[in-house]
Amino acid sequence: MSAPAATHTPTAVGHHEPSKFHIYIQIAMILAVITGVEVVLVYTPIVKWLVVTALVLLSAVKFMFVIFFFMHLRWDKMFCTILFFIGLVLAGGTMWALLHLFGADAGKPLSAVVGLLLF
Amino acid sequence: MSSHAATIDHHHDSTTSTGIPNKKLLWWAFLASDCMFFGTLISTHLVYRLNPPPGNAIPTQVFNIELTSFSTFILLMSSLLMALAVNAIQRGNVRSTRTMLLGTMFFGCIFLGGQVYEFGHFVHMKHMTLSNSLFGSTFYTLTGTHGTHVAIGVLLLGMMYVRTFKPAAGGGLSMNFLHMLAVAVAAGVAFIVFVPGMIEIIYGAGIGEFLSSHAVPLSVGAAACIAMAWFARQSSTVEFGEKNAIDVEAVGLYWHFVDIVWIIIFTAVYLLEYL
Amino acid sequence: MAEALAKSEFTGTGHAPAKSFELFARPTAKTGLVGWLTTVDHKKIGMLYGGFAILFFLIGGLEALLIRTQLIVPNNRFISAQLYNELFTMHGTTMIFLAVMPLNAAFFNLLVPIQVGARDVAFPRLNAFSLWVWVAGATLLNVGWISHLVPSWNFGGAPDVGWFGYSPLTSKVFTPDLSTDFWVLGIQMLGLSSIVASLNFIVTIINMRAPGLTMMRLPVFTWMALVTSFLLILALPAIAIALVEVMFDRNFGTNFFEVSGGGQPILWQHLFWVFGHPEVYILILPPMGYVSEILPTFSRKPLFGYPIVIFSGVAIGFIGFGVWSHHMFTTGLGTVATAAFAIATMAIAVPTGVKIFNWIGTLWGGHIVTRVPMMFALGFIWMFMLGGFSGIMHAAAPADAQQQDSYFVIAHFHYVLIGGATFALLAAIHFWFPKFFGRMVPEFWGKVSFWLIFVGFNCTFFPMHFLGLNGMPRRTWIYDSNMGWNEGNLFATIGAYLLGLGIFTYFAVLVYSFFKGQKCGNDPWDARTLEWSIPSPPPEHNFAAIPQVHARDAWWYEKTHQEEIAKEKAANIKAEEAHGGIHIPDQSWYPIIAGMGLLFGTYNLAQLKHPVVMFGNQVLGSHAPLAIAGLSIVVLACYLWSLEGPGGYHIHLDADGNAKESGGYHH
Repeated sequence: MSAPAATHTPTAVGHHEPSKFHIYIQIAMILAVITGVEVVLVYTPIVKWLVVTALVLLSAVKFMFVIFFFMHLRWDKMFCTILFFIGLVLAGGTMWALLHLFGADAGKPLSAVVGLLLF
Repeated sequence: MSSHAATIDHHHDSTTSTGIPNKKLLWWAFLASDCMFFGTLISTHLVYRLNPPPGNAIPTQVFNIELTSFSTFILLMSSLLMALAVNAIQRGNVRSTRTMLLGTMFFGCIFLGGQVYEFGHFVHMKHMTLSNSLFGSTFYTLTGTHGTHVAIGVLLLGMMYVRTFKPAAGGGLSMNFLHMLAVAVAAGVAFIVFVPGMIEIIYGAGIGEFLSSHAVPLSVGAAACIAMAWFARQSSTVEFGEKNAIDVEAVGLYWHFVDIVWIIIFTAVYLLEYL
Repeated sequence: MAEALAKSEFTGTGHAPAKSFELFARPTAKTGLVGWLTTVDHKKIGMLYGGFAILFFLIGGLEALLIRTQLIVPNNRFISAQLYNELFTMHGTTMIFLAVMPLNAAFFNLLVPIQVGARDVAFPRLNAFSLWVWVAGATLLNVGWISHLVPSWNFGGAPDVGWFGYSPLTSKVFTPDLSTDFWVLGIQMLGLSSIVASLNFIVTIINMRAPGLTMMRLPVFTWMALVTSFLLILALPAIAIALVEVMFDRNFGTNFFEVSGGGQPILWQHLFWVFGHPEVYILILPPMGYVSEILPTFSRKPLFGYPIVIFSGVAIGFIGFGVWSHHMFTTGLGTVATAAFAIATMAIAVPTGVKIFNWIGTLWGGHIVTRVPMMFALGFIWMFMLGGFSGIMHAAAPADAQQQDSYFVIAHFHYVLIGGATFALLAAIHFWFPKFFGRMVPEFWGKVSFWLIFVGFNCTFFPMHFLGLNGMPRRTWIYDSNMGWNEGNLFATIGAYLLGLGIFTYFAVLVYSFFKGQKCGNDPWDARTLEWSIPSPPPEHNFAAIPQVHARDAWWYEKTHQEEIAKEKAANIKAEEAHGGIHIPDQSWYPIIAGMGLLFGTYNLAQLKHPVVMFGNQVLGSHAPLAIAGLSIVVLACYLWSLEGPGGYHIHLDADGNAKESGGYHH
């Protein structure tokens, strides 16, 4: 990695994109901390539904931080966000529907005992 | 090529109807599509977690949550390096871009190595294979597909890295190919042999034993690394520059996406099992 | 404006430097075999899609005629049960994936770039790649027929698991032969092709519109192409994953759909229809687009309620993702799920009905000209509506329990797929034939073919409603003579022959017109959209000047504002010439190499665990090395492809519009 790239001639810094170095570092710190909290949370003896909710929320926060900052949706045209969310919403909706279809009692296979009783 | 760069606007492309560069639009549309891929895979996994057959493997007895948490952390940090690579090239700094790309690839290889170790460990120590339990089928397919995405990401980053050395004067196809080969071999050895070996050592395996039993692949990998260092010495002017920011950014979008999929998998597949 | 244009990508600013970075020279032949194999021109790619699709359309039709011949009388032994299974499987698969979808793809390619006023799609080489991957998938699906001719190629015949390949029929236990493996990978390849092509069209439509062409000025066909592309990229992943799971079950011992290992076959049905239902709209939305172009042209009126037609198309696309379980009412979803999917299914009829209302509104008070495309378009409205009515009947879950898997369902989806999609496609082929071949199709013979098709189609499928309600199950090889199905089947088969005759007439007339048809100018129908503003057939660069769009019916506006347009065009040509001329991308070998590598790889992947036998001797223990070799070709081709760059050259037009080429690198 010795040679300086030739296309990189010194230009006034002002012409460039402002550096987002510090923002990125801060986001990464937040992401790391959230991941730590998540792991600890799992072993915390509190009500289960609270833990599940917290986990879902925390991973959603991580998700949003990555797409809006690292993937700079925040600084891009709104249409990129819409485009991605079309896929995200449809995928999420399909998952939700599938889990409910298979979670419903009617969707469960009959066990041998119940099956015999029904006959 | 009147180069440059001073006036490149990285958030607006005046040649398109919307101002969004074509490549960026293509990748975002692809990622929307990829949401459905992983949505289907995760659904399959969760559906069978809701309806486990008798004799299914028990996830908490199989998982190694410390290692997975560490992998998750590494993948998040690789995303940071990727963001910094894009930041660097948008400011025209090719050298820094190269460093960040290499760093991202290295962290990606650590993640993949963790997965190689994990799979091997699950199969040999916990006796959970692809076919002997439904949990194995869905788990390996889901995380394996994710791992394949990461591996493709490493390959794309490698191609981008090698491309930063493309001489402005033209030619150099064979050099480019050999350089790419060296990068691919180094990355392959890193995640198939080196990183899993290091994890074994952390868990108490002997260093000497590891070195002697994997002498051949390790020396090939070392040779590839030396070759990479040699190829990186090149001093002629290169074509790559700030105008290529969109290319780096496009690969970056893919890389970050792989990261957010892992954020979901880590919660849905691993953490929720511990409740 | 000229300023904006000068900066635009069409003029080819900012090229790769002169020194090449490629393995071998790029192909430059514009005609002949090499020209077609390496083309990146959207019009040629569209022609290739269209040609292959028509070929498969005729093959699928032949399969249908064999099926109908088997059913002409009770207890018939014309073909074996096994062959019958292969025929109905391949008839469905062929008509959906190898006829209607690629015909739509052909029109996407031919029309979308011109309708948005561009010189090509956003990623021309990727477009060629989609085509060749499609060819690979089509080949894999049909390779099994060889077994009937050459018994030593033991693939077990063509696929025979039905077009939706319900689990557990696809399990190794029930279909141990290779035909199902080819089916799985063939569909997978077609899906890959469609996703790649759709990404390309999304970018093209959203990002490459000519100046002034806002989204709400886009031709309805282009809008429907956009919605369809979104449906494709969002629906196909579901089946891609489901197919991977079947492949793993068959080859690597997983248990996704194996009951013995705890898997649930019903999951396949869900995943298949998560794809399969949007697929229905993938088939019908582009035809709705053709009709929305043809009806206003021959009613001499703009489309009635354009924004509502667009909005309805988008709404159909979205709701289309929430209705999949109506294919599975009889599997026992539970009352809540059944009610929810029944309501969503009825809701989706609303935007469809709105569209029909708008088409009729377009005709209302119009100056109707009944040329052949118009006849097919009118037939489309009527027949598609009939198919829609039986669709509403399926939406009522209790009624559907009676209709499930009966000939009533066959009648329903043939009314929407022939009466709907195919009628619109035949209208579209007839309508745009003069544009791309420069010759008219004779009106008389076109009308003869229309009436043959119309009468034949109704004779074939109308009786099936009654057959179905009288209990005739679909996929029936033979039936007894005392079931009360004799007359209906006889009638339907005679109708099928008539339909076959009509289709034969239609295409025979096209072939005749290709050689002998009367030559025509730019705009034989006095149409509305931009493709009619350029010569027939269109030149390589489509437009001499990038058009400036002022109205929804852009070409009607141009025809009534000739002075203004002439001035704009002169300015645009000058701006573009000052910027180096018209930029055209270079041809490339890599898309076809990658596509054929994929064919070789997947052909061997399908038979992974079987030994490789050549001339009776075992050469290799498994097909794995060959599969890896094929996939390596793909990786290598993609690598060289990325290094090669888009390249390109420039065209300069003289005062008479004659083109002269120059290299792309200096201006």
